Amino acid sequence: MTLSHDEAESALRAVAEAEARSLRAYGYQQASPHLLLWGCLWILGYGMTEFWPHQWTAIWSAVVAVGLVASFGLGMRKKPPKEFYSRFAAIALTAFAFIFAVIAIMAPRSGNQIGALIPLTVAVGYALLGIWRGPRFYISAAVIAALTLGGYFFLPDHFNLWMAALGGGSLVLVGFWLSKV
Amino acid sequence: MEQPDAVIHQPVRLKIMAALKGLPPGEKLAFVRLKAVVQTTEGNLGAHLTSLENAGYIKVEKDFDGKKPRTRVSLTKTGRRAFETYVAFLRDILDGQTNATAAEPVTMGAD
Repeated sequence: MTLSHDEAESALRAVAEAEARSLRAYGYQQASPHLLLWGCLWILGYGMTEFWPHQWTAIWSAVVAVGLVASFGLGMRKKPPKEFYSRFAAIALTAFAFIFAVIAIMAPRSGNQIGALIPLTVAVGYALLGIWRGPRFYISAAVIAALTLGGYFFLPDHFNLWMAALGGGSLVLVGFWLSKV
Repeated sequence: MEQPDAVIHQPVRLKIMAALKGLPPGEKLAFVRLKAVVQTTEGNLGAHLTSLENAGYIKVEKDFDGKKPRTRVSLTKTGRRAFETYVAFLRDILDGQTNATAAEPVTMGAD
């Protein structure tokens, strides 16, 4: 059997497609438990903020600390490469620096503004990831952003409850969706 | 190289090898995920995995995730080398350096 130029080209195309699909499925598989985790934490954090709005600093400090430790633990489950530690620290520092810089410059006047800024920042992160690593990340980002903006503009009196139920709930659903590839 | 590796040359097996090569080194792909990536039936995938395992190109591990049985597949070092050689062979054809006929399976030891 002779292998022609066209057959070789078609085989290389099949190789590239299979590699890309595999990498995409791997990315979804890796992200899924993190989304489930943060979905549950959003439900808890926004839910508690709805009932104890004046305690939001203590609530979110605890929620973010638990989330970072748990995310780090999830990343450690698979004997990560040595770059994992520096990348994890760099991602956390970049996100914190960006959010604090925006808060310092824009000086938000309400808790809802801060409560919307953080999920929108997360959504931008997932949208960028989706452009490179798979459309499901991009779709998830669009859903998170749309729900955040919807709650912020149309339900300001119960924004935290909205974000707990629909924002956190969506993250949990997206986590399950990514696990089903 | 004048002749392509006939084990990898089969289209479904080529996709399986490419899917496993796409993962970070040492990572395993669950059977169900591999089925979705390769887009084939369970029976077909199982048969091709056996051929690749017999050639020493992949490692199939069966264990339990809690109470659920699971099968995971990974590329061996031999398989990674064989796949890279095969892809280089295809690229040579595109570059006009090789004119090929498919060979008998190359037998290499498992890792």
